[in-house]
Amino acid sequence: MTPGARPVLATERAALMLQLVPYLISKGEVTVAEAAADFDVSETQMRAMVEKLTVIGRPGDAGYWQMANDLFDIDWDLLDEHDRISLTNAVGLEHAPRLTAREAAALLAGLQLARSLPGVGESGVIAGLLAKLARGASSAPADLIVAPEPVDDVRGSVDEALRRGVAVSFTYKAPDAPATTRTVDPVKVHIADGQWYLQGWCHLRQAMRTFHLDRVSDLALTDIAITHGEEQPPALFDMGETGNIVRIRFPDAVAPLLRGYLDRAQETIAHGDLTVAAIRVADPTSLKRLAAGRGGEVEILEPGGAREAAADWARAGLEQYTDTGAPERGGEDAPAPEG
Amino acid sequence: MPADDLSASTAARNAPEERLLNLVVALMATDQGLTKDTILGSVSGYREQGDSGASKDALEKMFERDKESLRALGVPIETIGDRLEPDDLRQARYRVPTSEYALPEEITFTPEEIAVLNLAAGVWGEASLSADARSGLRKIGSLGITVDEPIIGYSPRISLHEGSFAPLQRAIEQCRVATFPYLKPGDETPRTRRIRPLALAEYEGRWHVYGIDTEIEQERTFLLSRIVGAVKVTRESFDAGLREGAGERALQGLEDLARRQTALLEVHPGTEAALRLHRRGVPALQGIRVPFVDVHIFADELASYGPEVRVVDPPALRDEVRRRLRAALDLNGAAR
Repeated sequence: MTPGARPVLATERAALMLQLVPYLISKGEVTVAEAAADFDVSETQMRAMVEKLTVIGRPGDAGYWQMANDLFDIDWDLLDEHDRISLTNAVGLEHAPRLTAREAAALLAGLQLARSLPGVGESGVIAGLLAKLARGASSAPADLIVAPEPVDDVRGSVDEALRRGVAVSFTYKAPDAPATTRTVDPVKVHIADGQWYLQGWCHLRQAMRTFHLDRVSDLALTDIAITHGEEQPPALFDMGETGNIVRIRFPDAVAPLLRGYLDRAQETIAHGDLTVAAIRVADPTSLKRLAAGRGGEVEILEPGGAREAAADWARAGLEQYTDTGAPERGGEDAPAPEG
Repeated sequence: MPADDLSASTAARNAPEERLLNLVVALMATDQGLTKDTILGSVSGYREQGDSGASKDALEKMFERDKESLRALGVPIETIGDRLEPDDLRQARYRVPTSEYALPEEITFTPEEIAVLNLAAGVWGEASLSADARSGLRKIGSLGITVDEPIIGYSPRISLHEGSFAPLQRAIEQCRVATFPYLKPGDETPRTRRIRPLALAEYEGRWHVYGIDTEIEQERTFLLSRIVGAVKVTRESFDAGLREGAGERALQGLEDLARRQTALLEVHPGTEAALRLHRRGVPALQGIRVPFVDVHIFADELASYGPEVRVVDPPALRDEVRRRLRAALDLNGAAR
């Protein structure tokens, strides 16, 4: 999250300040910058919260104003001269508040996803945490369930390679491309929408590449120590300036279902209740799969080759269903693996 | 408005969060509780406004609002009624019991657990859930636990694009009946559904809400992506006991459905379809059998494989796949 990008309401500020006191006590002394980062606020907001803290305190005896030691106080010199925060008097709020139902729910769902990681799920850590979070919440969190996924051999081996810091070799079969053998320095495993991707330095392409783990087979660990582990991985589907532009047209209502593609859109133009989007893809003919899957909703406008490929793809699929006894197996529907 | 109302400019001097915090400090510092009169007369924020002429009525309203705000933040404000006249709230005392306010001290976290929690807190791409997770992590962090080496090499993400998620989560927390327009594939217009929502479940990358449809009094699961309008949280509440174990039941329901519904498919070896489907299926006499939850969503996937897969059974799935392929051909087949 970008620090300070978030507007904060009065009740949210109160919630943050309830957390601030135990935080400052546990830290002893902390820079304004570090505290701001930990609280996802700007340094100006953090400073204002700390200053505001010093007017908070126990009620004075009826009719009297509060005494100085009834209020929170900080080391002002330290703040003014060194941008560091240190609490010098606390009059309550020393304890960390319980988690709200929403905080607990957000963490519980995250833990369920973490459970599918090799080595995490089996360790028993998750079960213990689920129970602790449920006990530490002020009211029952809504059940947010993330269906568990089994750890298969490929995922397990990639995990081992990551831990040992060695390259892996495997067969990779991208759609409509011949299978290739790759040696890859693993850098990061991305899990998004239930799909697993390995990002790493590909020895064949001499560049960072992303591999869908479903398309990986015959994976083996090598003895080659990784040399590009520190490489900063690009965003998951970042194409950079490579690839080709394809123009597609679809009803607005379909847009949410095309998210993965539209995230990469160069431009989108609305025409009535239809939208035309220009998106960048490595292989324009690959959109035939999208067009068939969203049958009748996504039209490929250009390039012409991609449009033809989409029509051919749908036709070849359809021709399997001649329904005259046994399915025909012509040359047409045998997908020729080509690069 | 009367002149002594809170709209008076003097009221603006103290920021509302100061008053809220002073109230929490005061209510935590007392064991036997404070009466409303004591609070309004001595807690900073109320006291100054009273001194500068705000009416008692206005102060009391402010106190009621503040109590609600704090309870929404999870601060447990206890009301202790007068023993002789329990219904007379004028003599009621208020306090915040530390034992219910604070994270219990006996809950401790190991460095390894904190490392896993750090990973778990980072999964949300969506802003408000991400903020919730980070806030929860901060509270646990201030217990002063040393952190293990972070778990590196993984970037798990839960994406959430449905606007219906937040109101449904709220309805579950508050045990309130919710309504929403739901569009089934093939239907022309959405139908309003009315449910007691019990759990939200992500299954195969899609979010579902599980609950009891009040029209038929039966448990139902709905895809969030098919909720095509605003979710309304009604005032009608339901028994919180219904929520017990609901997440497990929701998951079980989806898994049972997948077990009951399987498709018989012929898949061309060495293709994308083969790679993606074989992981999920079991070999059969003629092709493979693959379980599925929703015929329309599975038909979308199978149609995308074009000639790489042929649906043998069931007929409904077969028809849906053919319909998609036909429509895709019609739309892209004509010369431009």
